[in-house]
Amino acid sequence: MFLCFFPGFLQYIYIYKHVFGGDMLLEGLSISCLRHCYGSLMVQAAGLKLVSVGWAKFTGFPSLKASRFRVSCSAKPETVEKVIEIVRKQLALKPETVLTSETEFVELGADSLDTVEIVMTLEEEFDINVEEESSQNITSVQEVADLIEKLVQQKAQGES
Amino acid sequence: MRSFQRNFSVSPSCPLLPLQLPSPMETHVWFVLPDEFKSVSLLNQYMELLSPCEKENVLTMRGDQLQKRALLARALVRTTIARYQINNHVVDPRSLKFRKNIHGKPELVWKSDDGQCPSPLHFNISHTSSLIACGVTVNSPIGIDVEEKQRKIKNNILAFARRYFSLYEVEHLSMISDSEVQRQEFVKLWTLKEAYVKALGRGFSAAPFKTFTIRVKDATNSGASEVAVESSDHPESLTNNWQFGLFELASSHYASICMEKDKTSDVAMRVPMRLTVRKTIPFVEDICISGTDAVVPIAGLIKQV
Repeated sequence: MFLCFFPGFLQYIYIYKHVFGGDMLLEGLSISCLRHCYGSLMVQAAGLKLVSVGWAKFTGFPSLKASRFRVSCSAKPETVEKVIEIVRKQLALKPETVLTSETEFVELGADSLDTVEIVMTLEEEFDINVEEESSQNITSVQEVADLIEKLVQQKAQGES
Repeated sequence: MRSFQRNFSVSPSCPLLPLQLPSPMETHVWFVLPDEFKSVSLLNQYMELLSPCEKENVLTMRGDQLQKRALLARALVRTTIARYQINNHVVDPRSLKFRKNIHGKPELVWKSDDGQCPSPLHFNISHTSSLIACGVTVNSPIGIDVEEKQRKIKNNILAFARRYFSLYEVEHLSMISDSEVQRQEFVKLWTLKEAYVKALGRGFSAAPFKTFTIRVKDATNSGASEVAVESSDHPESLTNNWQFGLFELASSHYASICMEKDKTSDVAMRVPMRLTVRKTIPFVEDICISGTDAVVPIAGLIKQV
């Protein structure tokens, strides 16, 4: 976990990502700019992936939790959509409940049996195998989608 | 049903009656039924008891029902524990301090002269959409899990069991031919396994369900079946110091409790888990339901008091 000392900047990223949509805009914010703010440790060259950024909380964005925020460009929107569809069904959510990639399962009242059922449904849907240790870090829709894509990719490359 | 307290005062200044601590091998279970809480002013009183962090967590829940549930869970924990303090003295529920252990299990801390130390009072909480339960013990780690009896499993039960449960447990479930009975047995087994990992303080991720087996030995002539746990990862580890109780609660739920056996008593002797169950509306009323048909023991040696 890295402490961010520029909460305003990340707020900016959040607005860009969600007002303008998609992950393309993040590529527009120059990597050098991001590196400058957070150090090269945090910006991986491949895929513009910022990992595990945490910061002292600020108000105004209730969907962002103080403990974890992950900006990632790796999971395809279709994957995120599929995860959301499965989560909706498992938790029998009302249509008006808004789910985004940032939604955390705990906010939806999911218990451990729900989480495990969701993982199992996803395993069947994507024909992958999720190790118990990985499922520890699954707290949000985005994290699940990223993990799925990683496992699908690994499987395609012959690793398991 | 014995009513211990009927107090319709809306002032939280001192309406909570003190409680005697549980004795060794005794669990006190307190539960609330969210549907019984409709008064906005009462819910606001509960909100006032929470720490700023707890309030924030409640407000991030999506929707009124989930927020109410989160609020009731914290209010139940704070008001219940506040009544169990030393020398029968009720403390302000707001003053209680909690922290999480390394795996995220909440525990009560005491402030002492040289910092914080863990309290001998242990608690654990579990909720479903229709019931929130809190179990309290002294000097024994406790895990509690409740599930609705009618809980539907979206996946195929045996496929799920093969994926997550131990071999023995899969075999036990696959021998049940009636699908409804199989579903019920699955839910009961799930609550026992959850109660165990919560008692360990490790939770699901840190104690994968495949690494231990829960066995329910058939009822003996004395009428009670024994529940035992074996660890397949660490066969040499002490698993015979955990005691289980499984019962039907309020006709709607299965509830499992796991606690450490009293070290002072002879381990070979089968000492029952003493159990008191009370339904509560904090600041309003408690109703003791142990010994009624609202608590039906299913497995494990349970003595209701």
